[in-house]
Amino acid sequence: MQVRQFPVLLGGDPDALKDWAADWQMSRVFVCVSVIFAGAGLYGAAMGYWRSPVQAGYNLVKFPIIILATSLGNALINGMLAPLLGLNLRFRQSLMLVLLSFTIASAILGSFAPIVLFIIWNTPSLAGQTEISWGTYNFVQLIQVVIIAFAGMAANLRLFRLLQVLSGGHRVARKVVGAWLAGNLFLGSQLCWILRPLIGSPGLPVEFLRPNAFQGNFYETVFRAIGQLLAS
Amino acid sequence: MNEPNTPPLIPQRADAPAGQTQTPQLTVNPEDDIPIPNAVAAIESILRQPRRILCQLRQAGAGRLILRMVLVAAVCSLVYGGVIGTFAGGTQLWSAPVKCVAGLLLSGLICLPSLYIFACLSGSQARLVEVAGLVAGLGMLMTILWIGFAPVAWVFSQSTESVVAMGALHLAFLLVTIYFGLRLLNAGFSAHKDRSGGIKVWMIIFLLVTMQMTTALRPWLGQADTLLPAEKKFFISHWLDCLKQSHESGSNEKNSASR
Repeated sequence: MQVRQFPVLLGGDPDALKDWAADWQMSRVFVCVSVIFAGAGLYGAAMGYWRSPVQAGYNLVKFPIIILATSLGNALINGMLAPLLGLNLRFRQSLMLVLLSFTIASAILGSFAPIVLFIIWNTPSLAGQTEISWGTYNFVQLIQVVIIAFAGMAANLRLFRLLQVLSGGHRVARKVVGAWLAGNLFLGSQLCWILRPLIGSPGLPVEFLRPNAFQGNFYETVFRAIGQLLAS
Repeated sequence: MNEPNTPPLIPQRADAPAGQTQTPQLTVNPEDDIPIPNAVAAIESILRQPRRILCQLRQAGAGRLILRMVLVAAVCSLVYGGVIGTFAGGTQLWSAPVKCVAGLLLSGLICLPSLYIFACLSGSQARLVEVAGLVAGLGMLMTILWIGFAPVAWVFSQSTESVVAMGALHLAFLLVTIYFGLRLLNAGFSAHKDRSGGIKVWMIIFLLVTMQMTTALRPWLGQADTLLPAEKKFFISHWLDCLKQSHESGSNEKNSASR
């Protein structure tokens, strides 16, 4: 895969990409991993820069790790679910397809990194403030959610089109992309939880991992928050 | 005319040629006729060509295939049981894998006779060996999928201390794998022209037995003085008790924190 093939990848032309999926090449995998490290890493750094340059440095490593760990952690079950749902893919093919979709998402995120950096440059910095600016923190969080959701949707739409061509119908493609998406979101959320902080709460110190990184899980926290909200 | 002691002939379906019993046709693809030589091929087939497994169960040498499937199911259960055991550590590291294998085999053995009877009642012509093969296939598919879920389960087991959360996660995985396993079983019986819905009833029975097995062989996640429970409970009441305990301990923590 060369740089000039990038438009093909981002355009998501199913006819071209199905050959990529069919043919497992280490050079392609290497390029995908590199794009994930560059794109997601830069985006993560821009995201963490609001809290501190050190947090940006941590995110440069953490964000790509989350994406790659999600792809690898779910590789087995994704590879098993595809044939069971009607799409006869080999294990490597399903891994390559998931990797391609994460590569597209990372490339989109990477392209947004300068914009995020610009937005953060224009938001009040934490340094030199006496009070914690929760409003700004919420704004930064919201921006990340919007951009990550956009990148995820764009990548999954391309994955869906590709699966449609491979399966010859939208019914099977919908089932497969739905199952993969559910699995990736499930594991990805927990990995984000373990590797927090990513933006960095203004009230807590800058750290690579929180001391309680391996205590509790994302879903328990969400349920507890909903419970507290309903009780109040 | 029939002789006085000869039972009357079983009426044949109109579309069956006279003098021939109806045998369900499973083979559409010629590849389905290729024998399954080893366990790896069996795993590959159950995921990609389930019809090949169903077809091979009707051929001579089905016993060897069933044995292979049971062995694969046992090994995969051991591995997934190990992942369950990593949550609590200690004795659970060996007891959870053993219970996992025992639970799966016991559920299959308990439900096998009723499946055969239900199949016969539904008008299926499947032999006992085919029915046993379908149950073995159900177990193998379930446990292969457990292996697929194992990395996810491990990540969660290392990052939470909540027994309820881990229990819910394993239960969710169990239900997903049972769904795919029962789908395979249904495909097997649909080839045998099951029309009365008896197999659907059996599926509910299997689900209930498996759920109860998770309660009968507890504890899986927490630590206990004994390997098996001293108190007998229905699985729903056990789940409700667990939820209640978790809620109470959460409230106690909150109260002590506010003091």
